[in-house]
Amino acid sequence: MASQTTKLSITLREPEGSRATRRLRRSGRIPGVLYGGDAAPLAFSADARELRHALAASGAVLEVTDGETATPVVLKSAQYHPVRGETMHVDLLRVNLDVAIHAVVALELTGGDEAPGVKEGGVLEQITRELNIEALPAEIPESISHDVSAMQINDTVTLADITVPGGIVLLDDLEETTVATLTPPRLATDEDEIEEETELVGEASSADAGGDAASDA
Amino acid sequence: MLSPKRVKHRKQHRGRRAGLSRGQTSIQFGEYGLKSLDAGWLTNRQIEAARIAMTRKIKRGGKVWINVYPDKPVTKKPAETRMGSGKGSPEGWVAVVKPGRVMFELAGVPEPLAREAMRLASHKLPVKTKFVMREDTPS
Repeated sequence: MASQTTKLSITLREPEGSRATRRLRRSGRIPGVLYGGDAAPLAFSADARELRHALAASGAVLEVTDGETATPVVLKSAQYHPVRGETMHVDLLRVNLDVAIHAVVALELTGGDEAPGVKEGGVLEQITRELNIEALPAEIPESISHDVSAMQINDTVTLADITVPGGIVLLDDLEETTVATLTPPRLATDEDEIEEETELVGEASSADAGGDAASDA
Repeated sequence: MLSPKRVKHRKQHRGRRAGLSRGQTSIQFGEYGLKSLDAGWLTNRQIEAARIAMTRKIKRGGKVWINVYPDKPVTKKPAETRMGSGKGSPEGWVAVVKPGRVMFELAGVPEPLAREAMRLASHKLPVKTKFVMREDTPS
C-alpha cells in the first residue's frame, strides 16, 4: 500500500514531431504527457533513469514537480520498445487524492508450488492476471495476492474467493470471472495428422457450377 | 501441422519484412515467452518442430501457446527449370515474424525448465530469439 508518494521531476516541452522526440530519447530523457483534472494537457520530458526508478517504486501515486508546483498523478499508460523493452513514452493522469478512481492492479497467486493438486502433477493456470478496482489513489496497492496453496485438481478460483484490503472495490463480475484453474495433467499424444489440401474460397461452388454447365451442354 | 483450411488466393507476393512487430510484443497468456529478435519466415514445419521440442522437454504438465500462424503460402519452381513461365506452385506455409514478436508462450513449469525448453525450441527456428518472462515484459 502506498504510504508515501514517489517524487518525479519533469521538464515541460513543446509537443514536436518524431525527429525531436528521437533526439530527446537519445539524450537520456523520456517524453510524456500529463492530462486530466481541470488543467490543460502538458507535454513533458523526464530523466529516463529517474522515471524508471519512480515507476518501479511501490505505490500508484507519483508526485510530479516542474520546479514550481507539485501534482499527484498516476501512470495511465506507457509504451515500451518491442525488442529492448525500454520505456518510450508515458501518459500520466492528474488525480484528486480524495476521489476514488478506476485502476488496474496485478493479481499474484502465492503458494502454487505447495498446492496438493500441483504436487499430484496438475497444471495451475492463472487466467485473470489483472483486476479492475476502484479505490482512492493513495490506497491502490502494487498488487493483490491470493493464496492457492490449498487447491486440488479440478478446483477453480473465482473472483469471489479473492480477499481485497479495505477501501478497494472490485469492479469485475465476482462469480463469472475465473481467476485460476488447476487442471489434471494431460498425457502427451503425438497423433499423426493427415495433411489436407487447402481449398480456395469459392472453389467448391465454382466446381459445382462447372459440372452443371458441362451436364447442360 | 498448421496450415489454413481455406484460402482466398493460392499464391501471394513475398512482401517486405521491414520494421518491428506491431502487436504481440508482450506475454499474453503464459508466464514465459520466446521473443524473436530478427525478421523472418517460420515454416509450419519449423513451428511444429519447435512445439515438439518444447513439449518433449516439459513432458507432462505445463501449457504451451503458439502465437504465430503460418497463413502465407510460399511457392517454388521445380528443379532445373528455366526462368519464366509464371510463378511456381505452392510448396508450403509460413508465418511472417518481425523483431519483438512473442512467438511461443509457456506456463505451469519452473523457470529453469522453461528456459531449457525454449532454448531447444529456438534451435528449430530461423530467427535469433530471446527468453522473456512476464515480470520483465511490461504489458
